[in-house]
Amino acid sequence: MTMTLILEQTFNGLQAGVTLFLVAAGLTLILGIMDFVFLAHGAQVMIGAYAAAAITSVTGNFYLGLLLAIPVTFASGYLLELLIIRHLYQRDHMEQVLATFGLILFFNELIRIGFGPAALYSDLPPSLSGFVEILPDTPYPAYRLAVILAGLVLALAIHLFVSRTRVGAMVRAGANNPAMTAALGINIKILFRLIFATGACFAGVAGMLLGPLTSVQPGMGEPLLILSLVVIIIGGIGSVRGAFIAAIIVGLVDTLGRVFLPALLRLIIDQAAADGAGPALASMLVYILMAMVLIFRPTGLFPAKGS
Amino acid sequence: MLGYCLDLMRLGRDGIRDNRLLWLLIAGFGLFPIFTHFADLPFWNDVAMRIMLLGMAAMGLNLVLGYGGMVSFGHAAFIGIGAYCVGISQFYGITNGWAHLLFSLVACGIAGLVIGYLALRTSGIYFIMITLAFAQMLFFLFVSLETYGGDDGMSIDRADFGVVDLYDPLRLYFLIWICLALVGLALMFIVRSRFGVTLRAIKSNESRVEAMGLVPLRFKITGYVISAVICGLAGALFASWQEYVSPDIMHWTRSGELMIIIILGGLATLAGPLLGAIVFLLLEEMLPWLLAVVAPAYAENWMILFGPILIMVVMFGRGGLVGLLDRWRAANKAGRLMP
Amino acid sequence: MKKSFSSVAVAMAMMVAPAFADNVKIGYMTTLSGGAGIIGKQMQNAVNLALEHQGGKLGGMDAEVVFVDDQRKPDVAKQLANRLLKSDQVDIVAGVIWSNLLMAIHKPVTRADKLLISSNAGPSPIAGENCHQNFFSLSWQNDQTPEAMGKHMQDAGIKSVYLIAPNYQAGKDMLSGFKRHYKGTIAAEVYTKLGQSDFQAELSALRAVAPETTMIFQPGGMGINFVKQWKQAGMDQVSKLYQVFSVDGVSLPALKDSALGILGTQTWSPDLDNAMNKRFVADYKAKHGGYPSFYAAQAYDTIMAIDYAIAKAGSKDTAKMRAALAAGGIPTTRGALKMNSNHFPIQNIYLRETVKDADGVVTTKVISTVFTDHADSYASACKF
Repeated sequence: MTMTLILEQTFNGLQAGVTLFLVAAGLTLILGIMDFVFLAHGAQVMIGAYAAAAITSVTGNFYLGLLLAIPVTFASGYLLELLIIRHLYQRDHMEQVLATFGLILFFNELIRIGFGPAALYSDLPPSLSGFVEILPDTPYPAYRLAVILAGLVLALAIHLFVSRTRVGAMVRAGANNPAMTAALGINIKILFRLIFATGACFAGVAGMLLGPLTSVQPGMGEPLLILSLVVIIIGGIGSVRGAFIAAIIVGLVDTLGRVFLPALLRLIIDQAAADGAGPALASMLVYILMAMVLIFRPTGLFPAKGS
Repeated sequence: MLGYCLDLMRLGRDGIRDNRLLWLLIAGFGLFPIFTHFADLPFWNDVAMRIMLLGMAAMGLNLVLGYGGMVSFGHAAFIGIGAYCVGISQFYGITNGWAHLLFSLVACGIAGLVIGYLALRTSGIYFIMITLAFAQMLFFLFVSLETYGGDDGMSIDRADFGVVDLYDPLRLYFLIWICLALVGLALMFIVRSRFGVTLRAIKSNESRVEAMGLVPLRFKITGYVISAVICGLAGALFASWQEYVSPDIMHWTRSGELMIIIILGGLATLAGPLLGAIVFLLLEEMLPWLLAVVAPAYAENWMILFGPILIMVVMFGRGGLVGLLDRWRAANKAGRLMP
Repeated sequence: MKKSFSSVAVAMAMMVAPAFADNVKIGYMTTLSGGAGIIGKQMQNAVNLALEHQGGKLGGMDAEVVFVDDQRKPDVAKQLANRLLKSDQVDIVAGVIWSNLLMAIHKPVTRADKLLISSNAGPSPIAGENCHQNFFSLSWQNDQTPEAMGKHMQDAGIKSVYLIAPNYQAGKDMLSGFKRHYKGTIAAEVYTKLGQSDFQAELSALRAVAPETTMIFQPGGMGINFVKQWKQAGMDQVSKLYQVFSVDGVSLPALKDSALGILGTQTWSPDLDNAMNKRFVADYKAKHGGYPSFYAAQAYDTIMAIDYAIAKAGSKDTAKMRAALAAGGIPTTRGALKMNSNHFPIQNIYLRETVKDADGVVTTKVISTVFTDHADSYASACKF
């Protein structure tokens, strides 16, 4: 009984982890290669979720919605870079924080005007609304399993792309030493734009996948943004591999901590104190994890930049 | 001793000359109640108090952020600690306002020392995130402290400062104003002192300072503690002004707000944070009103304008509003020189 | 802001009104921007509808409502309260969705000797030891609704229940209110993160325990997420779901069919059978194309209470209006409302089920009355 519960919670943690990774993958490259603090990445999650939900409700087909929303998020990232972001690469982190904070406000308000302040209706595709027995007598929602699979496939694709292709080599070089990469004659402007748009696209996909599970509403990406920043910091800025490992760790720690920490505390301290401290500690867990990692490894677990 | 005093006075004189804008603004705040009294706009005193409080906190943060180059994304935590010290000491029956202030400053000093010591092992974006992490931990801690009202917060009485009855709104106004002036004065001396100069040197080239035989970490931590204490003072006064304290005061968006106020006003300038607070809070006040006149249906969507304004400030206004003013003054001067 | 925020109806009423007529000014605070803007919007709609129904007059006086947006921040709320009092010089401050915001403005407004009327928030300190005679609630004390849920589940003979609420003050209040009348086994008491969007981990843990029933308090977007994921995970086979403040007129359009059959308690329902409620619901639906939420109903009631107070007092004097309201018998969408000694309503609480109406729109329907004339449990601690 307990073993199957732990297994099930591990799946839940994995699912949280892979969605976090999709948001963090683009962001870690934007931070690492462009050295750009981009806080509006959560807005890309929201744009993806809204695009998919809107197209799905018009066409009536979830997969079509997904397919058509991908170019929308890519285009939004591409345009954003072209119009605003590229003018800000040379500025310091503080100014980037201010500008991208302005972008968050703008996008949230734009969505609110366009789609209204209420949450949008979105539901599971009928073909994935069933259950899969991961162990005998342990049914698991098929859609969540599909999210895990999709996340893992995308993570593998990103990994192969970065480690095996020519463009991937440029990306790695860019993360290690942007100035030198540019000096080698690589068109860094186009590279930046494509990384940015692809990153936005991955965040959008995370939003699309989350749409049927959670409420699609303005500002839905912000909690994910903070968590994905935590992931990036733990993994080491600019490292896709680090982001993947950290995302899985954060997903598992958060999920397992939430469920098992109050019970564990009850073994150590008395019931009343445990009931008070357990949930509070669970909310802080990922931040404690990040602080611990940084205190012992000030540049994260897998720093990409050559020192 | 006399020579030292003379030096200090000279430093003060030069400081006031070089920071005319800051003292102009502070003087303006001092005279503002006269204006509101005769214009019969007592409500605006309240807006001015909130501006002064956020401005004070931003000035404190600017010491590490602007002068020290340490981008702390968690300073709202210190405002919160300062405010909760007032609330918690009242909860246990301590009503003396001076005691509250003392608790706030000491608590923030200790918290600043601990967080600063741990966080300053990192730098750059990692530092931004680790300070955020500590602030989030404190936020969740206070949300779950049921004794002190948890998320609902605790209602508090205005503190007893002996001669100063804070229920008279003007006395509270001037208590805040005096604190603001003192913070301005203190920062002016700190920035011009050997310590301040070293702090700025560390920002531009840490290894060179190290080569001079100094320990940069010590300076950074000292700066961090001073700024935490200033934010704690702002927080303690904030609690008195609001007569209420809740974890909302230390939400991460407030840390962001403080950063925005500083960048808007001008990094590493004394007047910047105060000017930024004035403009930021007035925009927040006026934009809904403006939209209500132009497009009533969208009055509550005022952030659609606020966002782009922030982006514009970054794109076209290098050095914030103070930078803008300086350039405008320089252009004027140049224009006058040319026949 | 004040001019254009007030409704067109009021503006028109002002134009035709004689120049010297007495008028009353109300400051209405709610959250219009940000994530909770939808709630504020519904409340604003309801306030304007109430004014329209009264022909722009409250208690015979020309009425003007100044809407302010608190942005869900206590410091903004406090500043706005001061503006309403000092600059707009309103006679009454009303509205307020959130407990913490009400706590922040409670002192300045009551001290200024103006009435403060809550359309929603009702935290226990204000009902108990920190109560003030100038405060009135036209909604409920936070504990009342979960108390009714506990009573219903106790009476229904339910042996065990699994409780889930967010880890913040209102969450803890709700569960302690529930436990006041429920005496069966508490299988577990789980506190989730405030603002949590994925509950799968909690659902997995719940599946392992397989309790007879589950009772949740997950307001706003959290409720949408929880109920959606509950259905998706097929939890109906595992446990029976009960809720307070998690399925309402605001979340139903996003939940649609997935909320069908869920039971909850509430002091109001769109189908309550009285003339005022029927008119309110019908006109609201006609004007805004959807069912009003309980937030909207309470906002409507607030304006109706002000109308009643001025009419009965014959003036907008705070002491006279206070006496009128304290005497109770206030006409609302919940019938004539009685007032307790701490100025919180004594009212019926109903068991509601989510159903489809004749047009196929998802709404709630009253099943039974759990409490008749239910008073809150803090009134004895309140001494004015």
